Amino acid sequence: MGFDVTRFEGEVDEELVCPICSGVLEDPLQAPTCEHAFCRACIIEWISRQPTCPIDRQTITSAQLRPVPRILRNLLSRLCIVCDNASYGCSAMIKLDSLATHLAECEHNPKRPVPCEQGCGLIIPMDELKDHNCVREMRSVIHTQQQKMADFQKELAECRFTITELKREVHLVKEFMRAMRVSNPAMRSLADEMERDEVIQWSNSLTRARVTRWGGMISTPDDLLQAMIKRSLRDSGCPLNIVDDLMENCHERSWPPGLNSLETRQNNRRQYENYVCKRIPGKQAVVVLACENPHINEDMMAEPGLVMIFAHGVE
Amino acid sequence: MANNIAAQRIQREFKEVIKSDEVAKCAIRVELVNDNYTELKGEIAGPPDTPYEGGNFVLEIKVPETYPFNPPKVRFITKIWHPNISSVTGAICLDILRDQWAAAMTLRTVLLSLQALMAAAEPDDPQDAVVAKQYKDDQEMFRLTAKHWTAKYAGGPGGNPDFEMKIRRLTDMGVEEDQARVALSSYNWDLERATEQLFS
Ligand SMILES: [Zn+2]
Ligand SMILES: [Zn+2]
Ligand SMILES: [Zn+2]
Repeated sequence: MGFDVTRFEGEVDEELVCPICSGVLEDPLQAPTCEHAFCRACIIEWISRQPTCPIDRQTITSAQLRPVPRILRNLLSRLCIVCDNASYGCSAMIKLDSLATHLAECEHNPKRPVPCEQGCGLIIPMDELKDHNCVREMRSVIHTQQQKMADFQKELAECRFTITELKREVHLVKEFMRAMRVSNPAMRSLADEMERDEVIQWSNSLTRARVTRWGGMISTPDDLLQAMIKRSLRDSGCPLNIVDDLMENCHERSWPPGLNSLETRQNNRRQYENYVCKRIPGKQAVVVLACENPHINEDMMAEPGLVMIFAHGVE
Repeated sequence: MANNIAAQRIQREFKEVIKSDEVAKCAIRVELVNDNYTELKGEIAGPPDTPYEGGNFVLEIKVPETYPFNPPKVRFITKIWHPNISSVTGAICLDILRDQWAAAMTLRTVLLSLQALMAAAEPDDPQDAVVAKQYKDDQEMFRLTAKHWTAKYAGGPGGNPDFEMKIRRLTDMGVEEDQARVALSSYNWDLERATEQLFS
């Protein structure tokens, strides 16, 4: 809808007035052949009801509407209009093409967003400032936050429930596959792959560890120490089918040739730095998985991996 | 209401009519009925060389909220005998007030179109079938009847003693005057047939 003609300085030429709304053309478009011009909003609205020119009834469609000639646009942009907020005290007289810019920063705009200076600091429209009550506003903010939190909690509970369900299903599927692998070779390779994936997922969940003192390695951990490490492995989500094998490989008696005596360890100490080690959470111990260490010499590695327990020196 | 196209348009058109040449010649007039420009009263002078000459016809003009995307709703308040206007309700059959409306038309163009319709009826697209039939079958009877209605309801000149007498005959029998006039007009002022119709 066009601009009220009474807002302009002096008489506005009839050419610049929209025949539909009788305001000064706003974002004008013209009909293809007769070249009658209308506000974009006005002519689109009219065509949606009747596909004709509102002046001479020639058939037109909205796709045929064209921008008006530059000369007409220039005439429009040079018109001087009073600010929308004149009734709120703005005395600015603006060129039509700068009206939008002025409105964005007009300080008489009753809806201009301003921060409350009485304490709450909320951004509110200027005309609401006088009826503004910090406590009431904050209460309503708190109320909506609580609402949101309650929603989130509900969602969280639902997610948890779903996860538990999924876990249970996955467990069942695994059991099923274990039962099947014995008889079915395809199933066996699938199950093996799944197990490998499980190991990788688990190891990705662990943090990379750095051993600063390889000399602190305990090559003959006692049963109590082994039991503690095993529990930590389990708690960290280690796939149950490799826990025992891994724990088996925490003692020098099961270590590969390159590690199984003090002497060989001494000879190969330079290669320790090449191990990709993962921290066993909360313990001075690391797990070195075969799948993550393909670059390590065979005589320094064992399947499915090694567990190394230290007296100190793990970061 | 200031940010409403309908109100903005009507305000402007109202001024347009007021300063138009036609007003200067007393051919058309508009008046506001309420402050929010949703209802107006229009007036048209009966066109010269027609049975309506000398009469003044009052119109009810209702402006819909969707104006000017939809036409104003116009009807004759003054009773009129015309093929395209209902002699009972004043409803008008005119294309520009229906599907031929265009958004650039104004109160002024509507009033002038109505004046043109009064000067040139279109009996093949009637609003009042009885009037249209008379118009086609007996032009002179139509002219006399329309002139009589103009004198009676629109302040036009010249009475018609013959018609008046027939109406009085019916009112003496207890028939209401307007009703008597419609019946007589419809039966080409044949008193017998009008009576028959009224009492059947
Ligand atoms: Zn417009
Ligand atoms: Zn056109
Ligand atoms: Zn301003």
